[in-house]
Amino acid sequence: MIGQAKAWFFRQHWSFVLGAVVIAAVCTLLFLTPWIAPHDPTNPNLSSRLAGPSAVYWIGTDHLGRDLMSRLLYGGRFSVTIAAMTLLLSAVMGTLIGAYCGRRGGAIDEVTMRTVDVLLSFPEVVVALFLIAIVGPGYGTLIIAMTIVGWTPFARLARGLALELSAKDYVAAAEILGCSKSFILLRHVIPNALRPITAMAFLRFGHKLITVGGLSYLGLGVQPPLSDWGAMLADARPYAERLPILVLAPGIAIMLTALSVTMVGQGLEIGVDRRRGGGPRSSET
Amino acid sequence: MARFILRRAVVLVVTLVSVSFLAFLVPFLSGVDPARAIIRSRVADLAVDSDAAEALRVELGLDQPLLLQYFDWLSHVLRGDLGLSFASRLPVADQIGSALLVSATIAVTALLLALALALPIGTVAALRQGRRVDGLVTFMTQSFVAIPEYWLAPVCILIFAVELGWLPSAGWTGVESLILPAFVLSLRPLAYFSQVMRASMIDVLQADYITAARSRGLGIAQALLRHGLRNGILPVLTIFALWLAGLLGGSVVVEVIFAIPGMGRLVYAAVINNDIPLLQGSMICIVGLAIVINTAADLLYGILNPTVTVAGGATG
Repeated sequence: MIGQAKAWFFRQHWSFVLGAVVIAAVCTLLFLTPWIAPHDPTNPNLSSRLAGPSAVYWIGTDHLGRDLMSRLLYGGRFSVTIAAMTLLLSAVMGTLIGAYCGRRGGAIDEVTMRTVDVLLSFPEVVVALFLIAIVGPGYGTLIIAMTIVGWTPFARLARGLALELSAKDYVAAAEILGCSKSFILLRHVIPNALRPITAMAFLRFGHKLITVGGLSYLGLGVQPPLSDWGAMLADARPYAERLPILVLAPGIAIMLTALSVTMVGQGLEIGVDRRRGGGPRSSET
Repeated sequence: MARFILRRAVVLVVTLVSVSFLAFLVPFLSGVDPARAIIRSRVADLAVDSDAAEALRVELGLDQPLLLQYFDWLSHVLRGDLGLSFASRLPVADQIGSALLVSATIAVTALLLALALALPIGTVAALRQGRRVDGLVTFMTQSFVAIPEYWLAPVCILIFAVELGWLPSAGWTGVESLILPAFVLSLRPLAYFSQVMRASMIDVLQADYITAARSRGLGIAQALLRHGLRNGILPVLTIFALWLAGLLGGSVVVEVIFAIPGMGRLVYAAVINNDIPLLQGSMICIVGLAIVINTAADLLYGILNPTVTVAGGATG
């Protein structure tokens, strides 16, 4: 079993393997943060402000003398969880709605898909800003705001896949056997649509991570004294010239995470196309 | 085609009405009593006289049924009267007008730059599918998507404005102040346009009409220029429209960093100051524009590509 999984893993494209290794490393670090972080991320030490890398502060301190490494680890927990939660919610919601509409058709399908068309054209950041203006900033606001727009591409994809899968013999067989509609949807349609949907979720992760960071950069995301990678970049801006690592470290953390997840998504998508026998398709809009 | 246009028009109107209603509801949802807020700002006293608040409420028509208030508000909006901004006391419509012009300039510059680069990049990747150049293009586009604007923008400012002194670091003074923001904003669309262009050119290259053109003796370049490009570019135009709509209001972070007086910074200011009229105005404007632009793009797509399956609600 493990041997098989290992063989499958290394059969993938090199970028998939590399991306997966980086993600695994990042996730492990972020999961273990409370135990491995060398200092309290919110504890200022004004006598060692803007210090360079040393034995005590591995990669230095920020403008309040807070340990950069610890802030990077704790900040990553926010950035990555918010982006992942948003995607999970969007994917589940979009898949259920899209697959249901694709199977059902008719007026409900038409109205839902037109709603999807409209929502798809809304700029995500602006929707988030409007919601923040109404209910105030915070963890939950961010996730809800990005899910309002975020489920739409999943719904489109799931609907297309449901239409495609409805033509399969096993779905026809299930229908003839008298299986209920919800059984067919949950047992046959959605499981077979999961891989392309997972690929899309991975491919959109980087964008979400950057959007969350952007809102925090503007001071509308994670609120101080806590901070995520975006808020750290905002804090670091005035000191960029004095201590470039303040800007480099969170920037590299975002880019590395975003890029490795995208690489895994690309790998999954190539697998999808190979199984379908079609040419490469782009699922990004 | 007529049915398609009619259906799009219905969707357009329904959406605009719902968005305007949502925008109208903003002050009710945020739980601020406008009458009390106005009195408080006038007399600078925390204890608001209930009778005075009630009188003002009647005067402003806030005691009317919600729907009646909505139609009253909508009739003002339709005449271009979006009220006065709480913060600047200037007409919201004027502020939005000038901000929109700035944002549109940047958005169009950035997207045209992205398009100009993406067309050759995507085509080359498609022609060399599976080779090293293709892999390089894929890696490059993935990296561009992974770069946050709020990291690239300060770094660009540091290099080109602070160290080299070639370009202004912020503000809106002329063509020079357009270069850095447009460059920063163009990277992500460049990546997506290249990916879409590559995918669509791969389809085009396998199409019968290209084989036919090639068998008539046309070189690959000529076959692509005469027959391929027009078809290959269509999917890119669709996401071009999505990006245009997005950048007109969505480049908040970049506009704030470069201190550009565009739509994004206006929305940001409205949120920070809790400036409700400005928020309502920009909400209607940004979302309305996004819908109009995408409807227009859909229509254009239908006209340019006669094979599009209009009746089936082609999605996927």
